[in-house]
Amino acid sequence: MKYFKYIALILMGNAFISCSDFLDPTPSSSITTDNYYTTADELETGLIGVYAGIKGINSSSKDDNHGVQWEFYVTEMRTDNTSTKSPDSEDASDAGQMESFAVLPTNNFVLNYYTSSFETIYRANVILENLDVVEDEATYAAIEGEAKFLRAYSYFHLVRLFGDLPLIDQVVDPSDVETQFTRVDESVIYDLIISDLQTAAEGIADHGYKTRASKDAAKGLLAKVYLSLETPEYAKAQVLCEEIMSSGEYDLLDDYYDVFYSELNDEIIFAIGYNSGIQDNSQIFSAEFMNAVGHTSGVNYATTDAKAAIDEYGGNRTEVSYREDPLTLFGGTIRYQVGKYFPDGETGGSDGQTFTGLPQLAGNDWIVLRYADILLMHSEAILAGAEETTSATAIDSYMEVRSRAGFEDRPTRLTKDALLVERRVELAFENQRFYDLVRFNEAQSTLSAFAAANGFTFTSTDLLLPIPQNEINLSQGAMYQNPGY
Amino acid sequence: MINLKKYIIGTGITALALAVSLSFTACDPSISALEFDLPEANSQEDLTPPTASFTATVSSDYLTYDFSNTSASATDYVWDYGDGNTGVTVDGVNTYPAEGVYTITLTASDKLGKVDSYSMDIEVVEPEVPAAIYPEVLNGDFEDGTTNWKPENCTDCSTNAFNSSSDGSPLLYDGTESGASKTGGAKYTSSTSAGANLSSNTRYGYQAIYVSPNTNYILEYEYAIKTDNEDVDGGDRAIVSILDGYYDDAAVAAASEPLVSIVGDEASGKGVFDTVKQVFTSNASGEVSILLYAITNDELYIDNVKVYPVE
Repeated sequence: MKYFKYIALILMGNAFISCSDFLDPTPSSSITTDNYYTTADELETGLIGVYAGIKGINSSSKDDNHGVQWEFYVTEMRTDNTSTKSPDSEDASDAGQMESFAVLPTNNFVLNYYTSSFETIYRANVILENLDVVEDEATYAAIEGEAKFLRAYSYFHLVRLFGDLPLIDQVVDPSDVETQFTRVDESVIYDLIISDLQTAAEGIADHGYKTRASKDAAKGLLAKVYLSLETPEYAKAQVLCEEIMSSGEYDLLDDYYDVFYSELNDEIIFAIGYNSGIQDNSQIFSAEFMNAVGHTSGVNYATTDAKAAIDEYGGNRTEVSYREDPLTLFGGTIRYQVGKYFPDGETGGSDGQTFTGLPQLAGNDWIVLRYADILLMHSEAILAGAEETTSATAIDSYMEVRSRAGFEDRPTRLTKDALLVERRVELAFENQRFYDLVRFNEAQSTLSAFAAANGFTFTSTDLLLPIPQNEINLSQGAMYQNPGY
Repeated sequence: MINLKKYIIGTGITALALAVSLSFTACDPSISALEFDLPEANSQEDLTPPTASFTATVSSDYLTYDFSNTSASATDYVWDYGDGNTGVTVDGVNTYPAEGVYTITLTASDKLGKVDSYSMDIEVVEPEVPAAIYPEVLNGDFEDGTTNWKPENCTDCSTNAFNSSSDGSPLLYDGTESGASKTGGAKYTSSTSAGANLSSNTRYGYQAIYVSPNTNYILEYEYAIKTDNEDVDGGDRAIVSILDGYYDDAAVAAASEPLVSIVGDEASGKGVFDTVKQVFTSNASGEVSILLYAITNDELYIDNVKVYPVE
């Protein structure tokens, strides 16, 4: 019994010593964005996640962010280029609202594009927030550049679609209602876009991937930003285009078909990559453009207006750009399908619906920026808002694109109208038409005439999409709607 | 009793007459039936009166303007374009008869008769096509020797530009006859030649000029070669180029890709000058430079270097 106090002492001592970390473990199941990133490698995996935001989820759920997969709804289908399979001014569905310029603030495609884009911006901001874990200077600049490119890419689309926007240039707390819902002037958004793209053009490493942002992708996008400003910076845009042109890295392909069906070719500067047959990595838009192959009965069909323009100015691009829907060959109204994105190159057999692979899991990349676009932007920058130009360099770039299409009739002067038409047919169904019309100050006149001829009602306020009603409601009165909605 | 009866009947008749007359009166709805109702009862104030506003964009031709209607809470619109034309469409479009300042007024109203109007002045002007800059080539006739033609640096070559010579073209800079058989010029020989003879003695004439960006220009010069000795690969020749941008070092300038380069290689004899010219398009910045040199084993002369816009 006399040892009792010693035993008690030892036990007490143990109690003090052994409790060191056993009761205070690092919880291994709760990795959050706040504590995950500890190395440059981890940050780089996060960066891939930002691209995934643009790539979008291949599903039929309206709640998933579909990113660029649903972009055609809010861009191409709001022009004279495409419509639903059966255009109808009475069609009040979400897709039907687009073609008839009768978009409602509750439109789901509008909401989806808005939230997808801000999700990408959020993810980019997370990467930028965690940059301090990178020690190597070049790696730091490369990751910063790519993240800023992606943020600028998303904002550039949003600002042209919605006008004034909330400025989210850092990770914001969900409770910070003011930052999330206060719309700032377009020019402030453009300032951020320009500075982001300048950083990107400086810092991005030469990684050799065309499905990731490169220095040239940043320069090309920045050139387009300069052309899109309220007071365009034509000279800066021209210099950027010339830097890309003289790099010798890019070339027009001889065969227009190969631009779309041999992926990552010499003409591509930046594309969103997809892989065929894998749910998580494939895209749905190729199937949606077919007749009842995707989740819809068929959307983004070429209008007769677009067909007429392509027939007249397309040259050898015509047969690649669209085709007659095979299902209408057996009777019924003749309709035209977009020909640039057949699922994995399969045209769907005699009825356009029979595929050996899985058309809903298509792997066609989405081309964001290609060399023909750069050449035509070069001409546009030299034209500098004038009616026409005799500049030989402007006509050279224009003719480079034209001669690939089989035209050799070199004009002595290049007019703005000719350039706009050339962009329409060269870049048809590539989600450029809407932005081109706005940039050339031709949106109101062209779309008014198109709407009148097709029984739709277009007013100039339709050029800006409505801020999604969801956002207006969540903002508790802080967010105002665009005029006309 | 009779009196009482009479009284009752009398009262009754009176009451009946009164009731009848009252019932006639009461049939007029304008008077008593609504007498105690307040006017406008249950109607509400127009809390969202119209606000008129619009923006103007000039379209492809400078006389035609598109007007974008950005009014709120309005249903009907009247446009006064300021030139006598009017319209009632939502968005406006008008082609003006001539240049001038016009006041456009948009009157927006709603179905309750509330009205708001907004006016804006626009100035219709034909956009001026800016005249192309006429660059001044300093000492283009070489009367002042190498002045203005010496490059700042010349790595592994000479900054002396050329040999000042009095055996230049008999023509003046403006193309007229000087009256003399020759004027000042630039001379190159085998020791100052580029090409196979490249040495620390090789000379390049260099001058930076400023022209209108993206504009078509003509480069023109005269040259004379004494004899073509057949001992230079490609023949004796004068080379005058327009370079993209400014250069500190003539050696770097000579290695750059020129906007245009004119080679003169007709050996017509000393004092017999040939004129060569070619069109080029200036670059985005308008900052270009002239570079002249020769590849020769003989005597070669360059004179009257000119750069002027295509009319």
